[in-house]
Amino acid sequence: MSSKVTNRIALSVIILCAAVMAGILVSLLSYILFKGVTNISWQFLTTSASPFLAGGGIKDQLWNSFYVLIITMILTIPIGVSGGIYLAEYAKPGRLTSFIRTCVEVLASLPSIVVGMFGMLIFVNYFGFRFSVISGALALTVFNLPVIVRVTEDGFRALSLHQKEGGLALGLTHWHTIKTILLPAAFPSILTGIILSAGRVFGESAALLFTAGLSTPDLNFSNWNPISPNSPLNLFRSAETLSVHIWAVNTGGIMPDVSRIANGSAAVLVVCVLLFNLFARALGKMINQKFSGK
Amino acid sequence: MIQMEKNIVSFNNTVDVEEMPVQISVENVNIYYGENHAVKDVNLPIHEKSITALIGPSGCGKSTFIRTINRMNDLIPGARCEGSLLYKDVNILNPKVDVVQLRKEIGMVFQQPNPFPKSISENIQLPLRFAGVRNKKTLNQVTEDCLKQVGLWDEVKDRLDRSALGLSGGQQQRLCIARALALKPDVILLDEPTSALDPVSSAKIEELLLELKNSYTIVIVTHNMQQAARIADYTAFFYQGELIEFGKTKTLFTNPEKKSTADYISGRFG
Repeated sequence: MSSKVTNRIALSVIILCAAVMAGILVSLLSYILFKGVTNISWQFLTTSASPFLAGGGIKDQLWNSFYVLIITMILTIPIGVSGGIYLAEYAKPGRLTSFIRTCVEVLASLPSIVVGMFGMLIFVNYFGFRFSVISGALALTVFNLPVIVRVTEDGFRALSLHQKEGGLALGLTHWHTIKTILLPAAFPSILTGIILSAGRVFGESAALLFTAGLSTPDLNFSNWNPISPNSPLNLFRSAETLSVHIWAVNTGGIMPDVSRIANGSAAVLVVCVLLFNLFARALGKMINQKFSGK
Repeated sequence: MIQMEKNIVSFNNTVDVEEMPVQISVENVNIYYGENHAVKDVNLPIHEKSITALIGPSGCGKSTFIRTINRMNDLIPGARCEGSLLYKDVNILNPKVDVVQLRKEIGMVFQQPNPFPKSISENIQLPLRFAGVRNKKTLNQVTEDCLKQVGLWDEVKDRLDRSALGLSGGQQQRLCIARALALKPDVILLDEPTSALDPVSSAKIEELLLELKNSYTIVIVTHNMQQAARIADYTAFFYQGELIEFGKTKTLFTNPEKKSTADYISGRFG
């Protein structure tokens, strides 16, 4: 076989694989959106769920998903970014560093249901946080932390050594070089990574089943006092998120319009995650343009 | 020898002026990377307000040596130096030396222009702010002075708040020199500052260095022998980690003592 033919075959196989992948994504997305988009209405998004009557919405679940996401990010970003900076800039190659790196990798590959069980034992039972927003957010922190550490470390490593040398040669300390030169330069890639991981956290269900719970108290959206039990901001109330809701209505829902709710919720979830991705891209591009001065 | 003479276009015509006092005295400096003995027993004077060029083939230790003068090699794991580099009666290699302070007095410009992904003015003001300068007027004045010194002011004065990455390679390198000048160092080290630039930009930088040497001590590593001949007052020839020959540029190029120096500058190897 001539090398030209081999080249053609290899190219065709690669294109075929790429097409299969794109095909799966497109068909999955169009199926979910086709079945679900017609169920999305303003009323669906702004009505509370009804346990057994038809016509329930997903207002509380949608709010819970975003609320848990925000709390998770508040917990994860400072720890994860600091950890990533440590690994990229300060850690000297050696036993301790490789141990920490192994920990991060193992943590990243833990099945989310295991993280959920761990969360239940530690946060729900041991610390007595019950099924709550904070338990859910802490479990998701365990789940999300390694991703942020990784994204930060990679962002720093992708910077050329020239930047760091430039800072140090001007008589800046190591920390000041990191703070004023390296972190801003790595910021676009770190931010993109954070937003992409937000999509993953937003759609997570298994880790939340045993930590944030399967129910939501009657939320009063005019009560923003965070210690009041029916306030949307209360950290110690149970909080069923959107993806948990999809699982719950599909496995045990007794309302007559189960499929309508499940399809609609799935479409909302997918659209949100899609928006996260598009937003991450647009933002990355914008910041990049600003930095490169073009 | 005849061919060699042709190679060399012109000499820095200030070589014959009286010798300036020694600013940094290098005595028995040895540098190791782990087991690798990269620089062997180097002794040479670096004269104040003069240009000293370090030449030699790739891997001869000249970059390693220049990076030791402001302790940039501290960043490289396994690098180790012995001997003494006396500057203001202090051995730079002493671990107790405050490298942050040292690098304010001995600045460095690298081969690859490395402006920070910030605006042009921020690039110059960043080290000043860290050094404690807060006054806006002073900051702007120093920015203007430094950019004028490197001949960049007229090219960029209307876009000081735009990203420095939008400048051309040659402009970026002159910005990096301006940035190093902002701290008013005594010595400026340049590690092949023109090898990533086109000939026109290189010529501008050479011109600039000849001007700067009136106020600063300059040490430059270069691959380009003509460049050394054009601008340097003193030249040091490194080969395989050893300092083969050091002397006034004109003497070294026209009447080298060692055979390998003659071979290198006449293009027989390297």
